[in-house]
Amino acid sequence: MVERRFIQRITGGVLALLVCSFSLFAQDEKELKPVTRTYAITNVNVVQAPGKKVDMATVLIKDGLITAVGKGVAIPADAIVIKADSMYVYAGFIDGLSRVGVTKPKEEVGRDRVKDPGNPAPERAGITPQNDVRGSLNASDKSIEDLRNIGFTVAQVVPYGNLLPGQGSIVLLSGKSADQMVLVSNSSLYSELSGANGVYPNTTMAVIAKWRELYRQASQAKSYQSLYASNRVGLERPGSDRVLEAFYPVIDQRIPVLFKSEKMLDAHRILTLKSDLGFSLIMADVKEGWPVANKIKASGAKVFLSLDLPEEAKKDDKKSGGKSDKKADSTKAKEVAKPKTAADLERDALEKRKSEAIANYTTQASVFNKAGVSFGFSSLSAKPKDIPANLRRMIAAGLSEDAALAALTTTPAQLLGLSDRMGTVENGKMANLVISDKSYFNEKAKVRYVFVDGVMYKLEVKEENLPAGQAGKSDPNAKVEIEGSWSTVTQTPQGSNDGKVTFKKDGSGYKGTVSGGRLPAPADLTSVTLEGNKLSYSYSLSFGGNSIKVDVEATVEGDSFKGNASIGLRGSFSIEGTKNPKN
Amino acid sequence: MKKLFVLLFSSFILLGAMAQVDKGNLLIKNGTVITITKGNLEQTDVLIKDGKIAQIGKNITAPAGIKIVDASGHFVMPGIIDAHSHIALDGINEGTNPITPEVNESDVINPFQIGIYRALGGGITTVHAMHGSANAIGGQCETIKLRYGTFDPEVLKMDGAPRTIKFALGENPTRSHGEGSGIVPRTRMGVEFVIRQAFTEAKEYSEKWNQYNKAKLVKGFRGAPPTYSYRHEVLSDILNDKIIVHCHSYRADEIYMMLKVCKDFGIKRIVFQHVNEGFKVAPELAAQGAMASVFSDWWAYKFEVYYSTAYNAAILAKNGVVTSINSDDGEMMRHLYHEAGKTQKYGGLSDEEALALITINPAKQLGIENRVGSLEVGKEADIAIFKNHPLSIYGVPMFTIVDGVVRFDREKDPDDMRLVVDPKQAIETATFRDKLSDQDHCMEGAEFILDSELFNANKK
Repeated sequence: MVERRFIQRITGGVLALLVCSFSLFAQDEKELKPVTRTYAITNVNVVQAPGKKVDMATVLIKDGLITAVGKGVAIPADAIVIKADSMYVYAGFIDGLSRVGVTKPKEEVGRDRVKDPGNPAPERAGITPQNDVRGSLNASDKSIEDLRNIGFTVAQVVPYGNLLPGQGSIVLLSGKSADQMVLVSNSSLYSELSGANGVYPNTTMAVIAKWRELYRQASQAKSYQSLYASNRVGLERPGSDRVLEAFYPVIDQRIPVLFKSEKMLDAHRILTLKSDLGFSLIMADVKEGWPVANKIKASGAKVFLSLDLPEEAKKDDKKSGGKSDKKADSTKAKEVAKPKTAADLERDALEKRKSEAIANYTTQASVFNKAGVSFGFSSLSAKPKDIPANLRRMIAAGLSEDAALAALTTTPAQLLGLSDRMGTVENGKMANLVISDKSYFNEKAKVRYVFVDGVMYKLEVKEENLPAGQAGKSDPNAKVEIEGSWSTVTQTPQGSNDGKVTFKKDGSGYKGTVSGGRLPAPADLTSVTLEGNKLSYSYSLSFGGNSIKVDVEATVEGDSFKGNASIGLRGSFSIEGTKNPKN
Repeated sequence: MKKLFVLLFSSFILLGAMAQVDKGNLLIKNGTVITITKGNLEQTDVLIKDGKIAQIGKNITAPAGIKIVDASGHFVMPGIIDAHSHIALDGINEGTNPITPEVNESDVINPFQIGIYRALGGGITTVHAMHGSANAIGGQCETIKLRYGTFDPEVLKMDGAPRTIKFALGENPTRSHGEGSGIVPRTRMGVEFVIRQAFTEAKEYSEKWNQYNKAKLVKGFRGAPPTYSYRHEVLSDILNDKIIVHCHSYRADEIYMMLKVCKDFGIKRIVFQHVNEGFKVAPELAAQGAMASVFSDWWAYKFEVYYSTAYNAAILAKNGVVTSINSDDGEMMRHLYHEAGKTQKYGGLSDEEALALITINPAKQLGIENRVGSLEVGKEADIAIFKNHPLSIYGVPMFTIVDGVVRFDREKDPDDMRLVVDPKQAIETATFRDKLSDQDHCMEGAEFILDSELFNANKK
């Protein structure tokens, strides 16, 4: 256990300093200037860069910059000292593609039918490359804190949309306004191979055709504008066109096109566009890049791999639940004796292929590393709370810790042209740091402090990881009884949804079933855990040929619980349960 | 300025080049070789070197280390070519606009569809992967070889095959746009109008560019270029005979209309697709050199397809129209040899004539007859080997070979041929990924009103 008090008293006034600086971060309404912007992180294991570690050293921060790193660093009198004995400090992580802090535009329900779907207005067609993400950036959005809390300090953020949503910016995960957050504005032209709903361009092939046309028209318009600028005599005045003008910095290779490239075939299609048109390219949120690694390398495109991974295959997945209680064990012997049916064998073969498929995703980073493609990571489609575990899965699948760290720090800094400012813990760099109580990639590691641009964020660490967004107060020592049947109400955008969940004691734990909603018949819960008054359970829905996992996390108070039901990336919905009286 | 446009247009040529295609060496021993163009050769060997047919003859000595396929008692024929299909594509209809020649199936090839392997199981080696029929002028299509196993969509493309484009007449475009969106075309007259209008605009567009390029040659010229339009570039390519038109059609009147449009705009190469009433205008088609790709006996699935006959292929062929039989369907594709056989019952075609409908004739329609469609020295080694004659009801494809590489071997046909597995898919549904393969894809992705819906008062 690491000591919980880290702030050493230096002078009599330090306590007061401390209160002041903390009250600022606690979003107190009073705008007080911080008394000091000097921090000394002492006795810490400094991972300056991947593979470059200094043990038991001091990192000094002053006015947003790292001013000293090493042993025997003199600590200024005005410094707040963070006694970080046995902790690890790394350069703050950098996210290549994210929508952290970006407000999603409201879905325009009942949008007027377009008169001529073949010729919609550019905005309706998803063509708004002139949009600036700063217009939809909300500095107080909770997603910023969530991402920062796992060690990210900088992210390239982009607007929502389809084909050409607008221009991205590189932002600090700190600041009180969009402008305060921005480090580099208009850092890239963001694009996705996704079509407009019901209007041209609707299909991927039309999206690609439109992309080519816009780029060529922009090249043409740009040439004519420069011709006109050089000598206006005898030339028709060129018109203004926001859409085409947004391509000019791309054509000049001053900014790259940042393309979401999740799928294997997206990667091929985007590379074809690049080779046709010749823009510089960042492929981000790459999920299925393993067969394309060499092609990407040859193209010179920059890469950010997705931090999202498919769920791991369940190892004990015997058809009916596979409980390891005594009863099952006694019947197991009989099962072994029974020869496998053709259906069992087929199922086994399909399971095997599925787990091999999942392994491809997990080993992707290692494959890229071995192929000599430098890459960063992007969080666009990953949930922050899954990211540390996903990094550990990648490491378990062959990626070295140094390579993982490089992909979080030095490489993205380099890919985004920020190496002079960040990516390492070195004198003169921005004070973007993450401090964890153990090596970051250790399963039990917890992030304790994050510095963004010299601003300190201290994380409250409880004895256990509590799920984000949980309603009610959790108490690990509370005694609650959940056995019995509960009625649940889940709030979804389509209205509220009634269901029923039943828990039954099963050895030292619980098992249960769930019914209602889309379930044709009651389904077994795949897991139930109760720690104190913290209840979580999961089950799977089969919908449209896909299996969808539902995770419920709630806090129990007497005969009711409140919490969230999350359905993969679809989002999380609030759920309330009330215990039904016993018959 | 000039430099810019050299750049712009040279990019078309660079498209899709440079994919690494596997080419095999193989000796097929002792089969009955159905050459299609040069008769049948009993107990004959076919030697394949580097993906091409190197020698056809008796008792060819096997080069050292070459793989041998014993075809004793089997029939060796050219790989079957399907001139109308929608497999291996992510997206079939850009059904938002009646004129979309700029969209290109070449950009959305999907090499992972299990339907590709299933087609190989039916002896198919080459497929015309087409845009759908929602638009009067739809998208460009891609001629692909079934090199199943590749992860790279570029590898499926038959490099160097002529460009083709889909047109559509009749009910599909009028339903999609006239009834669906309330825009022209709502009638067959409207379809003709939008096609003529598109070509007229394209001519004007080319003319403007010609004038501009000419004017630029004069010293001291100052002026603005016409605005680049991808759509009109492609339409101009059709008018300049750089793209073969494949026109979805059923009725004799609309086919005749389209023949006149082609005459008026100087379009030389057109293949009518489906063309159920082709038998009524067979001499006219032949006179203009138009070709026809038909179903053997599939009709009455909508009003415009009622007047049909199973003699259609035979009548067209006997009138000198280059005719093929196509599938337009993932399932029918697996037994096109049966479909060809039906022309012997309905029309009395010879073996050679019937098999030409699924080999050399579709090759001609796609402009690839110098490379595939018959077994001749120098041609690409795309071959299907059958147990029993392919036109017999007992015919079974045993091997399918593309570029000398065995891509299907009935004796070695593993259960799970998926190239990619969805990590989120439930095991229960894992084998049905390609569940749409049994459906008609022609109008996939297009929005329209079904006639039956007109009688449903509750419908919005």
